[in-house]
Amino acid sequence: MTPMWYIVLATVLFSIGAVGVLIRRNAIVLFMCIELMLNAANLALVTFSRINGTLDGQIMAFFAMVVAAAEVVIGLAIIMLIFRTRRSASVDDANLLKY
Amino acid sequence: MPELKLPDIDYAALLPMLILFGAACVGVLIEGFVPRSVRNMVQLVLSLAAMVAALVFVIRRAGEVTAENAATIGGAIMIDNMGLFMEGALLVLGLVSLLLFGERTLERGGAFVPHAAVTVGSERDREQAVDSGATEVYPLALFSLGGMLMFVTANDLLTMFVALEVFSLPLYLMCALARRKRLLSQESALKYFLLGAYASAFFLFGVAMIYGFAKGVDFRAIHEAVRGSETSPTLLLIGLALVAIGLLFKIAAAPFHVWTPDVYQGAPTPVTAFMAACTKAAAFGALLRVLYVGFDGAKWHFTPVLGAVAVLTMLVGAVLAVTQTDLKRLLAYSSVANAGYLMVGLLGGNKDGLSSTLFYLVAYGFTVIAAFALVSLVRDADGEATHLSRWAGLGRRSPLFAGIFTFLLLAFAGIPLTSGFMAKFGVFGAAIAGDQTWLVIFGVLTSIVLAFPYLRVVVMMWLSEPGETTPSVSIPGVLTSAVLGIGTVATLLLGVLPGPLLELADQASSFIR
Amino acid sequence: MDEYLDSYAPVALLALVGVLIVGGGFLANRLLRPRQPNAAAGKRDTYECGLDPVPGGWAQMHIRYYLYAYLYVLFAVEAVFLFPWALVYLKAGLAVIVEMAIFIGVLALGLLYAWRKRALTWQ
Repeated sequence: MTPMWYIVLATVLFSIGAVGVLIRRNAIVLFMCIELMLNAANLALVTFSRINGTLDGQIMAFFAMVVAAAEVVIGLAIIMLIFRTRRSASVDDANLLKY
Repeated sequence: MPELKLPDIDYAALLPMLILFGAACVGVLIEGFVPRSVRNMVQLVLSLAAMVAALVFVIRRAGEVTAENAATIGGAIMIDNMGLFMEGALLVLGLVSLLLFGERTLERGGAFVPHAAVTVGSERDREQAVDSGATEVYPLALFSLGGMLMFVTANDLLTMFVALEVFSLPLYLMCALARRKRLLSQESALKYFLLGAYASAFFLFGVAMIYGFAKGVDFRAIHEAVRGSETSPTLLLIGLALVAIGLLFKIAAAPFHVWTPDVYQGAPTPVTAFMAACTKAAAFGALLRVLYVGFDGAKWHFTPVLGAVAVLTMLVGAVLAVTQTDLKRLLAYSSVANAGYLMVGLLGGNKDGLSSTLFYLVAYGFTVIAAFALVSLVRDADGEATHLSRWAGLGRRSPLFAGIFTFLLLAFAGIPLTSGFMAKFGVFGAAIAGDQTWLVIFGVLTSIVLAFPYLRVVVMMWLSEPGETTPSVSIPGVLTSAVLGIGTVATLLLGVLPGPLLELADQASSFIR
Repeated sequence: MDEYLDSYAPVALLALVGVLIVGGGFLANRLLRPRQPNAAAGKRDTYECGLDPVPGGWAQMHIRYYLYAYLYVLFAVEAVFLFPWALVYLKAGLAVIVEMAIFIGVLALGLLYAWRKRALTWQ
């Protein structure tokens, strides 16, 4: 099996995440979709690492994972803050700023 | 297993970044161990000292850059003339906007609230009203600024991604910490975070595609892969487009600008000033490096697309600025339009384009920080009065501040004898020299449209009678006065005597690959 | 010029395929799902017999120690850098050990801050 299929899988995962961010309403679910996109990028990095025959891609995936974890904590903290003041995690309710 | 070879690290070249990160770590310790009463003063002095020290080392490094000593940590960081100029510019702009963070005379406890989730008006809220405010913003700002320095000197896409997150994550948090209008502030943080994380996911996937195309992510490898492309350019085009989305989001170019007005309006005004000046400069520094160093061989592919983005950005910024009724939103759309003008210079594609973009970034940074400093002064019982109608007749109440604001707005509009004129003149001239006249035509047209909202504010301030609801202009403390003074004088000086900075930008406009 | 535009064909094709996949997914979903859901009383309840459930199934839990979870996520993932380091530190000499000590030190600083801010106490 050629490794190119993994790239296709990564692209599909990335697209699912990208569309999910656009159509879902719950901030947590949005956030999970973004994580899916980051992990799709990780899969692509590791696969290209295999295709190129270098280890760089795997190290890059490490960095991407750590950055994603930092993003998770910041993101959950902000969502938690919003939830505590408004009792809702729906992004449709965050509608004070417009026009 | 082959012998392990460690990369050389040139600590002297990295010192500005190391000082900022180190000071931020010390700031975290101060947060934990220094008594609350003196914490604000200690943090402010520490942050300012760190920035000044970093600036000193940047200046000492100037003139010592050679092709041999520019790259360090195995080529991950490239401190060339351009990187050094951007570091210096970011530190100066960061220093000025940090003074706004420290302002405590306008409001008890300053613009930042320690516990943002506490209900307004509750018992705990009254307790924290006497507090010295969230002094965590100083280490956060230092981390953010350090990340920006890393962003503009990053020499491979992975370092750039890490730096992007290092400077973005603290910004998301700082946006949520406004003392007044807390719900707006938190909402802006949520929007900024979700959209920012979305954009950075695009960036990372683009990095992965570029890695597949070029078998490496450092700009030299990308440059060579683009030039000798016997492989299909599909991966290159997808990767470049995705990376560009990540960067265009940060510079607030249309159609990736939708976060800008909400975040600029909701965030505490000192943070807005910091973002408007520094984030934009850092993102443009990185975009210049990516396009000029890594992907210059793909110029024929990206110039028409980015040209369309630039035109759209100028149009959206100018047209929507006309319809705004909130001053912070108006400045946000003006910032979007300015991103378009900066892109015109960038797409000039020549040395003049580079140097004029650098000049524009610095000139615009000073003006926009001073403008937001003034916005933070016009207050009523609910905090800042940012609705346009509230500014009517301000010229009668406080002619000095209305005069300064008029001058700053004229600088935004690009009237001669202000830095705005020199900056716009520079980027448009470079674009004509680079055969991008169509961009300049749109640039001039949108500038005329954009002058209208500025002049409307001016007319409103001077020609309307002050009403019952016209808020008073608070007497600024030492720090805000300093910011106003520096910003206004810089706007004037760069308009009248632009020579030194132009020369500096000209010397800085060279990359080392 | 034609050749230039032709070189964008793969991008356009990919965009088209993307739209088709997503649109197709939604279309398939719409076609395959039952059109007249059985809306009989009690059909959507958690238990269809016995006591009526009161109130809704989504109850909110009070997570007192969510800050622990945040800290755990960070520390667990940062540990990923220790694995490649563990393979080479004996060969690479003192500098590498000092660097990792600095890295751990910065992490410990974060923990120290959390402790001083009483994020580790049960509240």
